[in-house]
Amino acid sequence: MRIEADRDLCVGSGTCEFLAADVFQVGEDGVVRVLRPQPGQAAAAVRDAVAQCPTGALGLADW
Amino acid sequence: MTVEAVPPGPVDLDAVDLSDRDWWAGPPSVRYATFAALRRERPFAFFAEPELPGIPVGPGYRAVTRYADLEAISSQPAIFCSGRGAVSIPDVPAELNEFYGSLISMDDPRHAKIRRIVSKAFTPRVLEQLIDQVSAVVDDVLTRARRTAEAQHGAIDVVTDIAAPIPLRVICDMMGVPEEARETVLAQSNVILSGGDPELIEDENDPVSAFLLAGMELAGLMERLAAERLEHPRSDLTTALVTTEVDGERLSQQEISSFFILLLVAGNETTRNAICQGVLALHEHPDQRALWAADPGLDRTAVEEVVRWTSPVTWMRRTATRDGEVNGHRFRAGDKFLLLYAAANRDPAVFRDPEVLDLARDPNPHVGFGSRGPHFCLGAHLARRELAVTFRALFDQLPDLEVTGEPDRLRSSFVNGLKRLPARLGGGR
Repeated sequence: MRIEADRDLCVGSGTCEFLAADVFQVGEDGVVRVLRPQPGQAAAAVRDAVAQCPTGALGLADW
Repeated sequence: MTVEAVPPGPVDLDAVDLSDRDWWAGPPSVRYATFAALRRERPFAFFAEPELPGIPVGPGYRAVTRYADLEAISSQPAIFCSGRGAVSIPDVPAELNEFYGSLISMDDPRHAKIRRIVSKAFTPRVLEQLIDQVSAVVDDVLTRARRTAEAQHGAIDVVTDIAAPIPLRVICDMMGVPEEARETVLAQSNVILSGGDPELIEDENDPVSAFLLAGMELAGLMERLAAERLEHPRSDLTTALVTTEVDGERLSQQEISSFFILLLVAGNETTRNAICQGVLALHEHPDQRALWAADPGLDRTAVEEVVRWTSPVTWMRRTATRDGEVNGHRFRAGDKFLLLYAAANRDPAVFRDPEVLDLARDPNPHVGFGSRGPHFCLGAHLARRELAVTFRALFDQLPDLEVTGEPDRLRSSFVNGLKRLPARLGGGR
């Protein structure tokens, strides 16, 4: 799987960083950065983060 | 697990008026029984608006009590906007907009652009670095509380001596508000979130003037700080507010003032109420308190459960931007919806045994920080940190803390506040 982030929808709530800190980081511009687009072992935490993003800014694509 | 006292008998929904301030000062058991009845029988119940002197009475509002309905509305911000007012039932009068028209009552894209100026200061990673500071504040506050108790034959007040100073000092540190201004910040945020409680404002019949004066006072503080930071920038939030550009322009004075007020007030009152209501909840559920005190491994889920249980912000408002239908309810453009987080947080469709305080509850998809949508609480991660550190420190440093009297509840529908919670340290008399 591959993570996709919509930088227009993101408000930098940090929910993803809270749930999967190895994979996501809110950057200096207040918008999410995906540190590891193919999360491998963190897949479960990433699915949580995608599901719980309050603005629906994260998605998963099959790779 | 402990079961709440059995709710009172059947609720006469025709006699319930959510616009009556005094109803909100009543017993929580009645409040939650009423929410349960509304969820079951009248999920979009209509209420007339509270009358505020000097403000035209609006068309009324729908009280949203089911989790699914609340989420549906919150997650569609284009249809259910915040820009006509999110924190007050009447539309905000123009003269108050200068101080209270902040991003909480703003829609995207402007909302998102302004929010991003500060969002990086509230991320889990950045707050991780703040944890020592938060711990130092908590240690100092609890040491002072111990001293206060010693000087008063053991008596302290949980709100004044513990719950209020902790978030006040943390947010003022982050904003760079100097020591000598902090009493003012506390006093004015009390007025702003008083809900018109006559104990906190000078003239019960003129809350608008009280809100205006409180806003002016904080905006004045902001202007002094802004001038200083423009000359001597620091690494605090105030510097970020006055120096960052959005769409190539600095924020307007109005945007800066209202944002400053929002951060101070929201950073203060919500966590204060989670702490004092949390202490009260643990007092009422001693077995849960014992479990948490003995097991730091419970911190993560316990903090979430305290937020669900206390729902420090009771509601936010949304306004329909067009006609439509949501979960079977037809609405018209201009209709107002009150998203009652406190009701959704006890919806049995989502939470098993919602009336049970279960500090190990997991998963816990509560909406205590708001539901889906762009307005999800900016300070959620900060609040989580503050609560985890505070409760752990209370167990370790004030294990003898004992609530000794009835809480004095704030007469406000908007925040689930306490004005006083008498307690003692040191046991005995």
